[in-house]
Amino acid sequence: MTAIYKREIRSFFLTPAGFVFIGVFTVIGGIMFYMVNLRSLSSDLLTFLGQMTFLWMLLSPVLTMRLLAEERQKQTDQLLLTSPVSLTGIILGKYLAAFTVLLAAVTLLQVYVGIILLYGRVYFLEWFIGMMGFILQGCAFIALDLFISGLMRNQVTAWVCAFGANMAMWVLDALAGSMNYLPAVRVFHFISLFKRYEPFLLGQLSFASILYNLCFVAFFLAAAVCHMESRRVKGVRV
Amino acid sequence: MEFSLTGITKRYGALYALRDFTLSADKRQIVGLLGQNGAGKTTTLNILTGYMPADAGTVMVGGYDMQKQPRDAKRLIGYLPERPPLYDEMTVKCYLRFVCELKEIKRHSIAAHTDEIAEKTGLKQVINRRISTLSKGYRQRLGIAQSLCGAPEILVLDEPTIGLDPRQVTEMRGLIRELGKTCTIIFSSHILSEVQQLCSRIIILHEGRKVFDEGSDAFGDFGGLTRLRAVIQKPASVLLPAIRSLDCVCRTETVSAFGDKTELILSVRSRNAPERALFTLLAGLDAPILALSPVRDALEEIFLNVTSGETSAGEDQPNDCHL
Repeated sequence: MTAIYKREIRSFFLTPAGFVFIGVFTVIGGIMFYMVNLRSLSSDLLTFLGQMTFLWMLLSPVLTMRLLAEERQKQTDQLLLTSPVSLTGIILGKYLAAFTVLLAAVTLLQVYVGIILLYGRVYFLEWFIGMMGFILQGCAFIALDLFISGLMRNQVTAWVCAFGANMAMWVLDALAGSMNYLPAVRVFHFISLFKRYEPFLLGQLSFASILYNLCFVAFFLAAAVCHMESRRVKGVRV
Repeated sequence: MEFSLTGITKRYGALYALRDFTLSADKRQIVGLLGQNGAGKTTTLNILTGYMPADAGTVMVGGYDMQKQPRDAKRLIGYLPERPPLYDEMTVKCYLRFVCELKEIKRHSIAAHTDEIAEKTGLKQVINRRISTLSKGYRQRLGIAQSLCGAPEILVLDEPTIGLDPRQVTEMRGLIRELGKTCTIIFSSHILSEVQQLCSRIIILHEGRKVFDEGSDAFGDFGGLTRLRAVIQKPASVLLPAIRSLDCVCRTETVSAFGDKTELILSVRSRNAPERALFTLLAGLDAPILALSPVRDALEEIFLNVTSGETSAGEDQPNDCHL
């Protein structure tokens, strides 16, 4: 697992993927920060974080699209699957590498805290809780998109499908808002990653939401492992 | 026993890639796997390396069951698939290091190990180059190099010389011969002469079944499978059932029948003294042998013989010829 993790981290920065992710994240984050905080002279960082969530939908597929799809396309999965590494180790190594790049990007957001500190007041506990929710949401999107990458053998298709799946998560929220049938609304709200994020944006530490996000991650990582195993058993390479 | 595949069956949907396939190899054997496209060569290698499981049967590698102890079994195998599994964005050095880490080689010995492999495979001069800039020959060498990481006892090579120029092919064959002194090697190829040059044992697959499995050193020809041309004074209708009943006869082919004379080509196992058995049988039938001469088989002829599907016109039904 460690070998795969290290290779993926290296690969993120030997190819444009890591730079594109961190670059676009930082640029759009900067624009958001200017609009939400600097222009309106507000020190409310949670509103800023709330606006940033759509970035996960857009950028998480950039991180994950090549992770499994490229292995299939270039048939390098033969090396991994004939090495003494378990399928879980392969998936976890790749997931943790994507998570590390995500953390690197999120770390850059702390610059904005510094800027606010120069001119105003930051509620650190609130910010910490908000960041936790933000990172958890990112983790959930990466897990979902990693699973989708395993279904595809072309990176572009993997990106498009992952983005579509992320959008579907968002559409769930919109759908729930426009429905009158209460049980369906409850189900959609239960599933929705955005609804789960709301308590964090209010500065509330929601254990239910933490648990849900962690289960979401575990479910899609397990699904990625199962899918890879089923392809291996069937002997399907492409 | 270095590895064994026992009763392996693999299906892709309704199509059988391998049927009840059994194979084992001892230490320092070079085993060549021949067969037409779709015969099941790559499937055999994929199952042996643990890339995919078999539907039925067991794979033992160095005493470990591939299904139950995959980590231990995979540690003993180095695999070069048909398309070398290379990451273009990495340098040769980084890539070899990565494969060593994958094979769980101790960190402090990785540098020396990769240097040794690079030296052995002639990659020293490109060690710091990006893989994307390497020529086909070097990519293939790197493919071999990665399979050597972790000093495996078994090397599995799927068409290792495909796409190389003649000089590179010669070099690659030299390398395989050299590696064969320390490892057990099983490799697939379409090139019969290559297999003839390199292997101590040849296996031919046809439609997922093993149809030929012999050592190459027994008689200079392959596998002691000899063809005899015989002209016998007896009608074919009497002759053929009697000849087919002989254990040493694998296949009979009627060349011509004129009057009471029949000309046959017999595929026989030379180690079973077929001439003596044939003479005894025909003497009993009062069928004089008018001519009997060996038709020495080249591997190509054997290959065509054992991989021919339905018998062609003029050819009689073969006996159960699974050597």
